[in-house]
Amino acid sequence: MAIENLATLWHWSPTLGVGLLQNIKISVGAIGLGTLLGLLVGMLLLSPLAPLRGVAWLWVQVFRNAPWLVLIYFTSYVFPFDIQVAGSWLTFPDWLKVTIGLALPASANVAEIFRGAVASIPGTQWEAARSLALSRAQILRMIILPQCLQRMLPPWMNLYAVVTMGTALASLVGVHDLIDSAQIAANTVNRSGFTVLVYFSVLALFFSYCYPIARLTQRLERRYAF
Amino acid sequence: MSTVLHGLVGQLGQVGLDYSFLFDAYASSKLLEGALTTVWLCLFSMVGSLLVGMVLAAALTSGRYWLAWPARAFVEVTRNTPTLVQLYCAFLVLNMLINQSLGNANPMTPFAWVVLVISLHKGAFHAEALRAGIEAVPAVTLEAASSLALSRRQQLLQVQLPLALRFALPALVNNLIDLVKMTAVASAIAVNDITYASIMIWTQGDNVIELMILILAFYGLLSFGVNCMGRVLEARLRMPGYGH
Amino acid sequence: MPSEPLIQLREVHLAFADNPVLRGIELQVQAGQAVSIIGPSGSGKSTILRCMTGLLRPQRGSIRIGDTQVEQLHAEKELIALRKQVGFVFQQYNLFPHLSVLDNLLVAPTKVLGRNRDEARDQALVLLDKVRLGHKAAAFPGELSGGQQQRVAIARALAMRPKLILFDEVTSALDPEMVGEVLAVIRELTEEGMTCVLVTHEMRFAEEISDQVYFTEHGRIVEHGSAEQLFRAPQHERTRAFLQHALGEGGDRPSRPAPDVFSNLGRYSLSV
Repeated sequence: MAIENLATLWHWSPTLGVGLLQNIKISVGAIGLGTLLGLLVGMLLLSPLAPLRGVAWLWVQVFRNAPWLVLIYFTSYVFPFDIQVAGSWLTFPDWLKVTIGLALPASANVAEIFRGAVASIPGTQWEAARSLALSRAQILRMIILPQCLQRMLPPWMNLYAVVTMGTALASLVGVHDLIDSAQIAANTVNRSGFTVLVYFSVLALFFSYCYPIARLTQRLERRYAF
Repeated sequence: MSTVLHGLVGQLGQVGLDYSFLFDAYASSKLLEGALTTVWLCLFSMVGSLLVGMVLAAALTSGRYWLAWPARAFVEVTRNTPTLVQLYCAFLVLNMLINQSLGNANPMTPFAWVVLVISLHKGAFHAEALRAGIEAVPAVTLEAASSLALSRRQQLLQVQLPLALRFALPALVNNLIDLVKMTAVASAIAVNDITYASIMIWTQGDNVIELMILILAFYGLLSFGVNCMGRVLEARLRMPGYGH
Repeated sequence: MPSEPLIQLREVHLAFADNPVLRGIELQVQAGQAVSIIGPSGSGKSTILRCMTGLLRPQRGSIRIGDTQVEQLHAEKELIALRKQVGFVFQQYNLFPHLSVLDNLLVAPTKVLGRNRDEARDQALVLLDKVRLGHKAAAFPGELSGGQQQRVAIARALAMRPKLILFDEVTSALDPEMVGEVLAVIRELTEEGMTCVLVTHEMRFAEEISDQVYFTEHGRIVEHGSAEQLFRAPQHERTRAFLQHALGEGGDRPSRPAPDVFSNLGRYSLSV
């Protein structure tokens, strides 16, 4: 009985593998887009102009306090099925909608990580740089940001792991990810023993991807501990 | 009351947001039901997660490897896998198995499964925060307690736990705010929370954005409430002058 | 009065892993005496005190306090019984930061000795007055200076009405201007007849209040005797060298009149 289920699992593993790749694709896209957006928002948070700071603050508040599932539903329904680009219609794929949906809270978190990293640089660094007659932009670029990047790395990696786990929500809006594939497999095979096996395999697959990231993050945190 | 609501809807209508569904008895009652369900989910899960967190933290710091290792394994698996998958494993797998053996005598409802899974998931995070808090209590403070003839148990209750709780409090409050957001996964197994209710409504009409703003505001309000509660607790438990 | 010493250490040996810290300590303290242990860092002075209160266990030797053989205590109940009689004041004060000063003094008497809370409160306030901190009863440790915290720590140890108190370099972590207020409290205790064992670097204070002084180096008692004897006429080469280094003056001072020491008493006036 167990052997039969394992054999069935092996039979389905290519489908599950393709599903997992979808999750990874979404997670990489989301963290990439989220980081770019987040750094932008983060810089706005530090702007000397109050309105810019206000907009950035609002962005962070909204997207940090929103359930990720709600945001994914939002982007899935709000974006059209296809868009016109340079005269021809391109389908707006579901996975892209989820990617954008996850990039939004990711950007808010990146902005906070960035702000925290800048705040953790001792004020004495700023003073020393200013006394060397560097402008604010120069100080940021040459002194503060390089140090920030190091401090941002562990929480950023932690965020990536969380985003990867968030990609599981894609299955709820029709993306053919790992969970969706597992559901199809379970419903097709329709044996309770196999259902147990396939869902716990999904758990194991996510674990084997996210746990090493967590350990690496811990190692980096210890190395950069100050 | 309803005149205020009419006025508000009218104003929002001018901005292009159609909130007229609030006057539809079916829609508004579903939303209200959903909101209440979400509140109950939050309350039960918060209490459950704190209990789980305390038990796990005790196991993690017990010093006995037969307690600490399983606890550590549980924490790592829970923290590194998606909540949704855990929910499916619980609801689709375990529930199915229970149904097969108990038939109609299965006491677990989908609501109960959500509370259980979220309590376990967030409990793992609480456990880490409490563990860090317990380990942050300086050994010399405990030494001083023991030199005053306090027993191990008295040291734990009078010195170690109060201090650990104060150290862990900010992280615990953050976890609880996350928990509020996490309850949205209940909609995935058709528990009628506010997210599910909204989905039901917007699949029938074209008011996704309006509903989105409404439920985001609702979750935001709940998070804000938990945050305030955390601030009050932090103020009550503060240690004047500590840390310099 | 010649009688059985209250504290007696015989042939105490203790090693951490392969590192011998105490190599045969012999020490005794009569009831009501004040005994100081001096010596270079790493000589094992603090270790001796920790053995006396059961925080460390020697590999060999006998430690008798009153009727108790400390090195044979194993059960928690037995250690608790010991610590009801032996007060300990740490270098880093170690007050409980989440409790007010008053509550710091109440925890042990109410939870361990089972005293009535109101009674314990009255006695705690008396003790706080004694260390001149009655007005700080509601304050929290984080709001006090180092010297104030250490005085609270002494009051906290006194609240248990111990038979003797051990002081482990209690002024070493303090800013110089706060040392005096703490030493004044200790002096008062010795004058009242409390049995005290001090590990200290305050040589002049040790000379002033001690009945006996022990000089340790490398885990052994090099020399011991009355304060006058050890400080004025040290017999051992090493004692002389240490005192010379520590006091910055010649080891033998037979020609120095005694008042020279007492003229420094102004330094130990109590600051409030």
